[in-house]
Amino acid sequence: MANTRITTGMTQRNILADLNRVNERLVRTQQKVASNKEITRPSDDPFNTSRALALRTSLDGTQQYQRNIEDAQGWQETAEQALNTITEAIHRAHELATQGATDTTDANAREAIAHELDQLIESVRQSANTTYRGRYVFSGTTTDVPPYGTTDAYAGSATDIERQIGPGVAITLTLVGSTVLGGGQAAADGKPLHVLRDLADHLRANDGAALRADLGRLETNLDDLLGARALNGARQNRLEAAGSRLDAIEESTVKQLSNTEDADIAKTLIEFNSQQAAYQAALKAGASIVQNSLMDFLR
Amino acid sequence: MPISSFYGLQTAMRGLLAQQRALDTTGHNIANASTQGYSRQEAVLAAAPATWIPQGAVQGGAGAHLGSGVDVQAYRRVRDTFLDLQYRAQATRLGEASARTEGLDRAELALAEPSDDGINKQLSEFWDAWSDLANSPDDAAARQSLVEKAGAVAEAFGIVDSQLKLVGEHAQAEYDALTAAGGEVETTAREIAALNDTIKRFVTAGDTPNDLMDQRDLLLDKLATLGTTSITSLPDGTVEVVFGGPGDPPMIDAAGYHAPALSNPGGRLGALRDLATVPGGVIDSYRQELGTVAQTLAGAVNTLHGTPFFTVNHAPPASYGAASLAVAVTPATVRADASGDKGANKIALAIAELRGKGPDSDYNKFIARVGSEVRESVRQEANAQALSDAVLDRRDSVSGVSLDEEMGNIVRFQRAYQASSRAMSTMDEMLDVLINRTGRVGL
Repeated sequence: MANTRITTGMTQRNILADLNRVNERLVRTQQKVASNKEITRPSDDPFNTSRALALRTSLDGTQQYQRNIEDAQGWQETAEQALNTITEAIHRAHELATQGATDTTDANAREAIAHELDQLIESVRQSANTTYRGRYVFSGTTTDVPPYGTTDAYAGSATDIERQIGPGVAITLTLVGSTVLGGGQAAADGKPLHVLRDLADHLRANDGAALRADLGRLETNLDDLLGARALNGARQNRLEAAGSRLDAIEESTVKQLSNTEDADIAKTLIEFNSQQAAYQAALKAGASIVQNSLMDFLR
Repeated sequence: MPISSFYGLQTAMRGLLAQQRALDTTGHNIANASTQGYSRQEAVLAAAPATWIPQGAVQGGAGAHLGSGVDVQAYRRVRDTFLDLQYRAQATRLGEASARTEGLDRAELALAEPSDDGINKQLSEFWDAWSDLANSPDDAAARQSLVEKAGAVAEAFGIVDSQLKLVGEHAQAEYDALTAAGGEVETTAREIAALNDTIKRFVTAGDTPNDLMDQRDLLLDKLATLGTTSITSLPDGTVEVVFGGPGDPPMIDAAGYHAPALSNPGGRLGALRDLATVPGGVIDSYRQELGTVAQTLAGAVNTLHGTPFFTVNHAPPASYGAASLAVAVTPATVRADASGDKGANKIALAIAELRGKGPDSDYNKFIARVGSEVRESVRQEANAQALSDAVLDRRDSVSGVSLDEEMGNIVRFQRAYQASSRAMSTMDEMLDVLINRTGRVGL
């Protein structure tokens, strides 16, 4: 603009407005340094705020999945231990059966073996009734009901329980007792509880031929148990893999969140220093402009 | 035609008087250098009507116009009405943008995002609680904690909604206060009407009451930040003002003040009305959107839960979803699974899967929308501020008092005054020679 008159009020107002502007930026940067946050409210950066909120939700989710996995791992370990005990018991039963099946073993000896077998069956049933944090692990969804009560009939549920280990990813937690141990003689399913009871009966009946047949059935049971343990082990592996994947996801989410909403301290401090310098320069310039007047030079 | 020997005295006298008036005006300007709304004034000097000597004034007998000094023609208010017009248009924009930004700013603060207390965090913890329930469906503590988290979610929605409602009510209250009888609009308008009357009396008497006109312009500026103004200057010095709606009847006319119709107020009033209107206002639309999020949340959870987990009644403006969101279950009636089995967790699993889906992403969208609107409003305010400052600078450049200039003027007028008095004393000495020392031969 040509011939602009610069008036006193104008100068003062402009200097003040400029100082305010520089100061405002300075305060904003100071807030960033103090809070270490690039975003303190949605309007600072609407897009990144929305992103930060989604990342926070996903981070919370990841941490929750990690807790779920820990819980599932505890469950699986308990189940694994129980399966281990059951396998050992059946191995022992197999040894006893082999011993009992030889024709040199007499009725009294077989009776004694049958007696030990009864104890083994009881220990198998006890292992099947193992609990994890008060819940029966082989009962399916009815975790409050022991899978084997007073009888050999399976009292639990046939439905499996699942655990959420990722968004949209669930893992089956349970081995249903009836598929592992069966329902006893009444069910006639050829599973361990049925075979073991048969074995005891055959020992007491002093029936060598039937005992030899039982040996084969026991071996099939051992194979099945091995299969169940392999399944359980595979689940444990899956949980472990999911856990380490979640650790990696957590790490990268934290990093992304930090990139999105945290202030870059080095950059912010440099900004702060240059703004401070600008503020001081503006103050100095303003002060010297405001002070000077024609009056200083007139007599 | 002979010319009086004392003619020059009169001329010098006029000079003295005129320079004195000019100095007075300068003094007035300096005194008002920081008066708000003051326009600098200047004494307009012009050569006084010349003495006409019809003949014999110069060699050859022709006549002449003999200068007779200076007169103050007028005391002029230096002001550009076009800049006033521009300034008031910007002031209206700025008034609107800043009122809008203030309101939106408060709404944004009410959301308290991103933080560990906002709805986002509460929702996240709510999903965690469902996941915990899925891990321990038979655990009374997990149920208790879930119901508590659900309560916290409902409470967070309720608090944000009530804060938003407060922002709307605040805007409405301010609008009412400004426009009420005796409010700022009326008092300002009545002052303008009163000044109109006074100014009219002086103007019809041929006078220009500069300082009163400055006062009136300042009041008109104030009115312009409140709403749109359309100002017509009439020949009798009065102004007719249409306020708060281009087609409305005048608020101030020859008959004085009339209550404005405010059909489309603009300015601060317009922004306040935009914020506060229910339904359809900005704050109302935020509450509706938040209510929809609450409704989505309740709908999604209830569907999976089978029985009502949340109750919600979203029928604005009678009832807003976020305010009415409430937990409808007790720890005993929370369903982890449709079957009664203690360890079954299908429902809890399905609900925990909602994390990051419908309600979360709707809420995120809502936050992003508010953030963008606040940002846009802040930007508009800064823009309006810059434009308004620029016009104000131009106006100040024309009307403002520059102390340096006034100092220069003081020197100028003082010197002119001194020179005029020197002319007078020279004239006096000349007359002294004529009167006291001429023709004294032999005395």
